[in-house]
Amino acid sequence: MSKVIVITSGKGGVGKTTTSANVAAGLALKGKKVVAIDFDVGLRNLDLVMGCERRVVYDFVNVIKSEAKLQQALIKDKRLESLYVLPASQTRDKEALDPEGVGRVIEELKTMGFEYIICDSPAGIEKGAQMAMYFADEAIVVTNPEVSSVRDSDRVLGLLAAKTSRAEVGGPPIKTHLLLTRYAPLQVKKGEMLSVGDVLELLGIPLLGVIPESKAVLQSSNKGMPAILDETTDVAQAYLDVVYRFLGEEREHRFIEEEKRSFFGRLFG
Amino acid sequence: MTSFDASLEDQGPRGTPAGGARRAVPFDLKGTMAPLTVLRLRSLDLAIIERHLRIKIAQLPQLFLNAPVLIDVGTLAGHGAGLAIEELVRTLRSCKLVPVAIANLADELRERAVAAGMGLMQQAAGRPRPEDRTAATPNAAGESSEVGHAAGRTPAPSTSAAPPRTGGLAPAAPASGHAGPMVITQPVRSGQVVYAQNADLVVLAPVNPGAQVIADGHIHIYAPLRGRAVAGVQGLLGARIFCQRLEAELVAISGAYLTADDIPEARRGRPAQIHFEGGECRIAAL
Repeated sequence: MSKVIVITSGKGGVGKTTTSANVAAGLALKGKKVVAIDFDVGLRNLDLVMGCERRVVYDFVNVIKSEAKLQQALIKDKRLESLYVLPASQTRDKEALDPEGVGRVIEELKTMGFEYIICDSPAGIEKGAQMAMYFADEAIVVTNPEVSSVRDSDRVLGLLAAKTSRAEVGGPPIKTHLLLTRYAPLQVKKGEMLSVGDVLELLGIPLLGVIPESKAVLQSSNKGMPAILDETTDVAQAYLDVVYRFLGEEREHRFIEEEKRSFFGRLFG
Repeated sequence: MTSFDASLEDQGPRGTPAGGARRAVPFDLKGTMAPLTVLRLRSLDLAIIERHLRIKIAQLPQLFLNAPVLIDVGTLAGHGAGLAIEELVRTLRSCKLVPVAIANLADELRERAVAAGMGLMQQAAGRPRPEDRTAATPNAAGESSEVGHAAGRTPAPSTSAAPPRTGGLAPAAPASGHAGPMVITQPVRSGQVVYAQNADLVVLAPVNPGAQVIADGHIHIYAPLRGRAVAGVQGLLGARIFCQRLEAELVAISGAYLTADDIPEARRGRPAQIHFEGGECRIAAL
């Protein structure tokens, strides 16, 4: 049984690609067969963050246009046995994505036995983002504790409910999860940043996790190694929690200031 | 349906000094979105259409008197094949409506429509959906427009080109003449527009910033109002807005409006009602 998960946000620079890389790597760490697809055609990044940029020959658009076989375009991760990346094309634009082609590729990945198909969405709400979310079963909405990011996420949640395959055929709604990234409890305390409670109140979807603001994210991106693979960092711990929760395990929320806990007790207890 | 503005007056080369050589044009030609009632046909039977139409009109005679009407045959199987166009136009006129154009008409019928004095439109007013009265989940109306009016009367300062979602004209009127409110149970999210046509609107979840709720009648929001709310949009002066927590970007009744800046600090974040009095919106504690 395959699950298609879109990592989306509306706003750019909030951590979609970082989250895609870490969630994909985390699921693979747990032994799942995972593929991460980069939907950001024209602004290819996922391959860099996952450290496979030097092995890109064919890409997602080549497969959609039947210029290459899916097996030729998939890049196997060097560190994790069951992790694959389907890179974006850097030279085309989002118009190269069409529902039939994307649907065909996703179906083929399912028949290849991938348990999780992670769709890394581009920023915005235009074609690329809509194609990334169209076939999703679940969505992880990445949000920064900041008003513009929250509003964009709200917009995306509306699109997830209206502009996806499930919405159009009247299937069960896409399961949505909130991932709050770049969270700094100290700034929240000073009133410079929205709190977890503020964001949850506005978006009204379940919290999957809080990723603390950390230098480790930048370092890992530049190294091409998902942060989750270095367990000593708080970011890795936070993403591991996210993966466990995603797989249905109960894990207490961390990296939020102490006094917010009772609030969560009320919300999720 | 995108709004476009083709004012010829501004077509001259840039940098022409004001009041200079610009030739006076005796008119402005503008492509605009004017409110227009859409009659979306689901039947070819003129007798039934007329009967239901007269029931509708009897409920809101002032709204329909001499109203321009766009006839949409896109929902009919043959796009109007078998429709007695001339007869339909006569029927509508006898109901004191002013049919102006036919949308989504089959090609072979176009000449007949023109002969009957109708304009022709393609792709008017979005695609209809089968069930559209009570929306549990509002659609992102900017994308999936589904309208009974070709353009909604947006509140004065609104720049939103998104046509509001409506219940449509078509469903047969219940015998009681009371259509009942539209009830929304899911959050109305940024970019979404919900329009309760000829009805009150009840929202049981937050209306978020960047969202817009519109009703011909009252609007009740049993949650925070953080976006825009427009009550009595067709001119019902007695319409009111009620919300559990007033944090609105804008509230409007019958064209009068208050922006976030106009809402006194003392009223913000509290239960409130907004009503129309002396030509303006007034906020009172609830």
